[in-house]
Amino acid sequence: MAAKRITPDDISRPGGQLVELDPAQFRPLPSPYDKLELEPKIRCLTREQMDRFECGLDGVSAVMLPRPESENDKRAMLEKFLAGLKRLFNGHDNWTFLQPLLLTMEYCSQCQTCSGACRIFEESGEIEIYRPGYRSGILRRLYKKYVKSGGKILSRLSGNDIDLTWNLLARLLELSYRCTICRRCAQACPIGVDNGLVTREIRKIFSQELGIAPKQLHELGTVQHLRKGSSTGMTPPGFLDNIEFMEDEIREKTGLDFKWPIDKAGADILLVHNAGEYLAWPENPEAFAIILEAAGINYTLSSELSGYDGVNYGVWYDDMQLARVAVRHAGIAKKLGVKKIVIGECGHSHKSLTVIADRILTGDLNVPRESSLTFLNEIVKSGRLRLDPLRNADMQVTLHDPCNMVRLMGIVKPQREIIKAVCPNFREMMPNGVENFCCGGGGGFAIMPNLNFPDWRISVAGRAKLRQVLDVFQDIISSEHKKFLCAPCSNCKGQIRDLFSAYGVFERCNILYGGLAELIVNAMTDIKNPFQQWEWR
Amino acid sequence: MPLFDCGSFNIEVDEDGFMQDTGAWNQEIAGALANAEGVAEMTENHWKIVNYLREYYLKFGIAPMVRKLCKETGFSLKEIYTMFPSGPAKGACKVAGLAKPTGCV
Repeated sequence: MAAKRITPDDISRPGGQLVELDPAQFRPLPSPYDKLELEPKIRCLTREQMDRFECGLDGVSAVMLPRPESENDKRAMLEKFLAGLKRLFNGHDNWTFLQPLLLTMEYCSQCQTCSGACRIFEESGEIEIYRPGYRSGILRRLYKKYVKSGGKILSRLSGNDIDLTWNLLARLLELSYRCTICRRCAQACPIGVDNGLVTREIRKIFSQELGIAPKQLHELGTVQHLRKGSSTGMTPPGFLDNIEFMEDEIREKTGLDFKWPIDKAGADILLVHNAGEYLAWPENPEAFAIILEAAGINYTLSSELSGYDGVNYGVWYDDMQLARVAVRHAGIAKKLGVKKIVIGECGHSHKSLTVIADRILTGDLNVPRESSLTFLNEIVKSGRLRLDPLRNADMQVTLHDPCNMVRLMGIVKPQREIIKAVCPNFREMMPNGVENFCCGGGGGFAIMPNLNFPDWRISVAGRAKLRQVLDVFQDIISSEHKKFLCAPCSNCKGQIRDLFSAYGVFERCNILYGGLAELIVNAMTDIKNPFQQWEWR
Repeated sequence: MPLFDCGSFNIEVDEDGFMQDTGAWNQEIAGALANAEGVAEMTENHWKIVNYLREYYLKFGIAPMVRKLCKETGFSLKEIYTMFPSGPAKGACKVAGLAKPTGCV
């Protein structure tokens, strides 16, 4: 007998998990992962962990919310949530996103077009609670009952009543971390309803009103970024030490006597990478350095607090932190007197600094910003680099479109023009461009290693991307062929690394991943030895 | 907070077994953590890696780049994985009493 379909009423009910996850129900993967026994496991929480943390949604804990000690604690949090809910719909308190949020609350006609666009919902085997409309339906009922005048009576009469209970609160928090905010749903919606924004605004109530957010986003994320200089914990002296090491590497790899321009006042450009690149994928900032040097670009990096880390985790959960980081970045550029900021290969940096910061930065703080994708493409097209695409001919290449650069900002062609100029064997995943599938690590997921959440992120959130990558290379899937997935975003690379590791994709299928700038350098004829190393990273 | 059993005493660790109070680290704790990470015996080579990580961490407040770790200690990444089966970050750094890596790494 089919299980009873979950309804919005169920989220308030007491008791254990709303749904049990069963990998046998997930959409099957193509070869060589078409057997269930090859599926990585989603670990069950231990009894002790279940006693400590709320996990009543699907048995997964992304946020590690401790179970409250008393009924009074629960009541206090419910009151804060309710106050925050009201503020969310007040123009003085939510000037950033009120209009699209109101449109989403008032005009959704429940046509479910978004459900077919949501990869998490589809890949999970259509688990009801992951439906984009389920999440926003809960917020809509809360809004109509507790925010709109006469809501309590009208909600009951319309049959859309909802009870704001502790169980609802704890489950809604987790549910706001089951969506990567890729905004495919918003793109598919015929009237522009934005359920991705709903996810983000729910997270915002929890962070701004209750002080609840995943530790990696807040305490070790934006707070550490502002205080220590980077969400990686890298301090300015640590950054300079890494720079020195990478300068040595560049010398060894290329023979160039290279010195990085740091804090150079009056440079044309401030280049800001995601600091994770320096630690996990140093070949990416090194490749930028080689390209910019060869093209004769007058640029600088910054060693100021936060100036060497372009991330802005506030974009995922909190307006205040978002603004603080954006203003810090713009202030550093203003002080250096650069003409523009160029943002490295990091998707959410693009979103925060180019798109959202436009609503925050005023006057001379509004320094022009540009994507590294268009910037690199101009350099490649200018002819200032001597390029031989045959140097990348030993592998088949495909391209991942990071949601924030591509769907959100519409940067589609520049990265393709670059790849076509430097790689003779390029093939497109389907779908691609603005229709792409998220890597599964968006919305902060790639950096949240809490409890069994990484298992869910791999098996459910990353599933669509893995399928796409296997499909595009299906005719040459055996390990004798070298295949490369170009992903010009640090966050996506982190997710792809974990996804590939979990399934053994490099060992089994010989598919490696990496950034875009590295492919350019690998094609530069002035560099004697190959820049790209065919080894797992 | 979960506790980790070092034999004669316990230390506080996070959900992934990283030390909470990294200042309380000593060789005895390192030995116990190594054991839990699948290291049968801490050899001179193991200590070379752990001591380098520890010194770097005390100086810069963060783990070094993996490539720097390899270069400075003279071990390849593969050799480090052989010595610390869970790898440089989740294995060697944990044994050296470093905090869990954060950010987009």
